[in-house]
Amino acid sequence: MREETEVIVVGAGPSGLSVGACLRSRGISFEILERSAEVGSSWRNHYERLHLHTVQRFSALPGMPWPAGTPTYPSRAQMVSYLDTYAHEFELHPRFGEDVRSARRVDGGFVLRTEANEYLTRGLVVATGYNRVPHVPTWPGEASFGGPIVHSSRYKNGDPWRGKRVLVVGAGNSGAEIALDLWEHGAKPALSVRGPVHVVPRDLTGVPSQISSLFLFSRLPPKIADAISLFALDRVLGDLTPYGLTRPKLGPISQVILEKRIPLIDVGTLELVKQGQIDVVKDVRSFGPGEVHFADGTTRPFDAVVLATGYRTGISEYFVDAEGWLDERGYPRYFGEPVPGAPGLFFIGFRNPLTGALHDIAIEAERVAEHLAGEKR
Amino acid sequence: MAELDHWHPVLLADELGGKPAPVRVCDRELVVFRASKGEATLGAFADVCPHRGMRLSEGCVEAGRLVCPYHGWSFAPNGEGRSPATPAARPCADAFDVVERFGLIWIKRRGSSATFPTIDVSGYHLVGKTRHRADAPLEVTLDNFIEVEHTPEVHALLGYPRERMPEVICEVTSTESSVRVFNEGPQKALPRPLYTLLQIEPGDIFIDDWTTWFSPVYTVYEQYWLDPATRQQRPNALRIAIFFVPVTAEQTDIFAISYALAPPWERYGLNAFAYLLTRAFVVLELRRDVTLLGKLADKKTELRGRTLSRFDKPLGLARKRIESIYRGRG
Repeated sequence: MREETEVIVVGAGPSGLSVGACLRSRGISFEILERSAEVGSSWRNHYERLHLHTVQRFSALPGMPWPAGTPTYPSRAQMVSYLDTYAHEFELHPRFGEDVRSARRVDGGFVLRTEANEYLTRGLVVATGYNRVPHVPTWPGEASFGGPIVHSSRYKNGDPWRGKRVLVVGAGNSGAEIALDLWEHGAKPALSVRGPVHVVPRDLTGVPSQISSLFLFSRLPPKIADAISLFALDRVLGDLTPYGLTRPKLGPISQVILEKRIPLIDVGTLELVKQGQIDVVKDVRSFGPGEVHFADGTTRPFDAVVLATGYRTGISEYFVDAEGWLDERGYPRYFGEPVPGAPGLFFIGFRNPLTGALHDIAIEAERVAEHLAGEKR
Repeated sequence: MAELDHWHPVLLADELGGKPAPVRVCDRELVVFRASKGEATLGAFADVCPHRGMRLSEGCVEAGRLVCPYHGWSFAPNGEGRSPATPAARPCADAFDVVERFGLIWIKRRGSSATFPTIDVSGYHLVGKTRHRADAPLEVTLDNFIEVEHTPEVHALLGYPRERMPEVICEVTSTESSVRVFNEGPQKALPRPLYTLLQIEPGDIFIDDWTTWFSPVYTVYEQYWLDPATRQQRPNALRIAIFFVPVTAEQTDIFAISYALAPPWERYGLNAFAYLLTRAFVVLELRRDVTLLGKLADKKTELRGRTLSRFDKPLGLARKRIESIYRGRG
């Protein structure tokens, strides 16, 4: 069945819902297509102990503050319930189970295909998020390892791993927090860190790092912001090289701006690393029976491996000829602004700036809706 | 699992300086020390040298090793020992797992894979930590912390007014591993300035909703206020985790970590001031509990034969779980 619509929003996560709410308030008709059966499916499936790393006051979606009694960093469960309420509040009814298999640009719009339907739309908002496809690298010898090797998207809590030696690969926020969660559940975790990484405590001397970023670092020249933050980090964390954590040449603020890499937001892992409770190990080279070989030539026994190796946007896998709009890592180059040469196309929610992804989504959603409203006029 | 298989707080982190500290937990004498620089930063052993039985807590830390004051035998945090006079000897201290978290020093038996107690305080702000010792057994100490009937008599600010106790709702629910008590009633009258500080109004409903867990024995309190007309939650709430650690069969240590929902940087520093007062009040109220517990005439843990009230249902539920989960019996 072919349907014609004004605007299609793909994805019913925070980005898609925000755009929906902003379009509704401007009286623009739209449909949200969501491949799962619920809103916020990424948030529903994340590991249990996850919390926002940003402050709720600066992490609200357009038009709806967090309810009274929400802690500074809402939990995963609170985020899910916030998204449910949000969809209800703005009467957003995504079409669930509509997995966009292909999208392509045609004259005057875009054609999208799901399993059952085809949509022709003038406006297209891609809000499929940066967590769409788990990134699962492979290493030689994996088949001989013998224990489970699972991606972090399938990790819920450390309960099944009690007493086990577990290698967590990847020192992003998920990797570090999963290592902490494993430790709390009586496992013996080690964290494999590939290269240099900046570590920033979620709260620096009692102030959330997001607040420092919003009101200080994002308003200073990056070099000066780097110097201030490194000075503060030195005082608070000390030298982390003895624990296997080296610091990149580029400062933490410049890294976000130039390399789009956010620092590791520490929620307690570092304290355990410093006490020798969680070992930091090098890059994985290969696997052997019940053991892992590392880049520094060492070999250690493990019972299981969790790959906290991140996700891909997977946009080019369904969007025909999208490469020109994407950078080398598959992230869109354009945010909250029209894509050159593709009128009506918008990307939202693929950025993780210093000031917080949700904060950014809220701003972008208004802009996207404004552009779509302008084009209609 | 037996008692020492669970993680127990034994000291506030700032109580442990450069010198080894003796602690007593579950009737075991241990020594805890900071190994300054090196692999692990903390060590914990049975407080007795495997050589000739000296108290290791009388020794000192040198180059990351705890040195026995008697014959100079020294031990690394993992228990690996050296005898200066007999280099071939491989003595070994009875080492415990030890970690510093939430500003407390925790120990458990080496090799036990107990879960670290869950204190979900992400997004809450630390108000303070405090430690008190009650002259009462674990069960009897816990009893005081899982019923609100004592609050009109014992507490200055916490709890409900005596004349309105009959209207206090007390709902008890339990799972295999926890006992939850939900209390709802009118807030006690407070001095006027406290209403402003706590962001509540006279006549507010006070909710004291707590859950007790048994690996180790601890209770997490959720305390907040509702507008009686709209039942809207007031902006602030407290989350307090209290750990009950048997020192001996007759003494129990109480470790309390208090958190607040309202960020300290809000209301132009007024919240930071409210934190100072809240911290002082928690200490004050705990002192009252501890003093009272010391005056009990009958500290037997047996409940049979006692006349119990409608608030005492959690006591029996907790006893069963202390036996099965904490002590690992039956």
